[in-house]
Amino acid sequence: MSDLLVMTWTFLWLSLICVGGGLGVIPEMQRQVVTKHGWVTAREFVDGYTLAQLTPGPTMLVVTFVGYRAHGLLGALLATIATFLPTSLVVVLVAAHWQRVRTHPWAVAAERALLPIGIGLSTAGAYTLARSALHDVVTMAIALAAGVALYHGRVSAILVVVLGGVAGWLLLR
Amino acid sequence: VSEPLSVARVVRVFTLTGILSIGGGRAAFFYDALVTRRGWMRVEEFLQDFTVAQLLPGATFANLSITLGHRLAGVAGAFGGLVAVIVPGGVILIVLAAIYLARGLTPDVATLMRGMSAAVVGLVAITTVRMARPALVSARSIAIAVVTFVAVGPLHVNTPLAIAVMTVVGLWLNRPGRDGASGDRA
Repeated sequence: MSDLLVMTWTFLWLSLICVGGGLGVIPEMQRQVVTKHGWVTAREFVDGYTLAQLTPGPTMLVVTFVGYRAHGLLGALLATIATFLPTSLVVVLVAAHWQRVRTHPWAVAAERALLPIGIGLSTAGAYTLARSALHDVVTMAIALAAGVALYHGRVSAILVVVLGGVAGWLLLR
Repeated sequence: VSEPLSVARVVRVFTLTGILSIGGGRAAFFYDALVTRRGWMRVEEFLQDFTVAQLLPGATFANLSITLGHRLAGVAGAFGGLVAVIVPGGVILIVLAAIYLARGLTPDVATLMRGMSAAVVGLVAITTVRMARPALVSARSIAIAVVTFVAVGPLHVNTPLAIAVMTVVGLWLNRPGRDGASGDRA
């Protein structure tokens, strides 16, 4: 029971430090759910993130996966609510007043300050996932090929991910 | 645009759009559904909502469903929009998690997952590059991004601390009055 509360609280504060999107919180989330609390293994975490990527809706739904792994359906429900409810209250509150404050000099400064922080955090998120997912020439080649395909072509991301899976299945046996 | 839409209509359209939006660049699906196809809002309104969604804490896609829902149908539209994009994916993910965890991974599934995870790394890297290009317009914004990355990534500095320090530094570097209101210089 107390671990369920710790988990719910952990996802709540993690959601509040999501600056620049969900990817930016991945390094800290991995630290909390894998290293500190052991709710999932590093492999399960990156697989959960991959499944969330293949699922409709925000990729942050990886928390639903972690919650389910740690505490079943109740864990999944609480992890999801803790992640999305508090931040949604903040967003509604700000959205209602944004039209008025957005031209304020400090709002402009905040926008200029926060966007690059979000990009730095997202890059760290990509780095964290790469450390867990890429460990040999084959996985590195798949990541590179996926990146090149998505950068140049108008290919569907989901197709690229599935093809990466097929390549892994063929080459990693 | 002028008269609010019914919450039920927002929920219906958001559910459909949410289910279709898989993979990278998910905001583009909403742009297409709300601006291009239905003309429910202007481009500038969408971009403004996207900026708020990105600036505030939380997953950008979830935040975007809130800001767009709020614009279209008020507070009820905001929460209706959020639930519409969260619930279908959440249910699917629980089913996938149950399958993944119950059977354990056979060697075939394990190699499939490893290949897909590797491709996801390529996907998030490209998504980050796309996000970075329009935002990193000045030397100081590049410096903030690089320092944040190095601290939180390779150096494992804890994220709340990094955000707190970099926010103070970023606000100071961009403080009102510095280079006037003319914007960033490269």
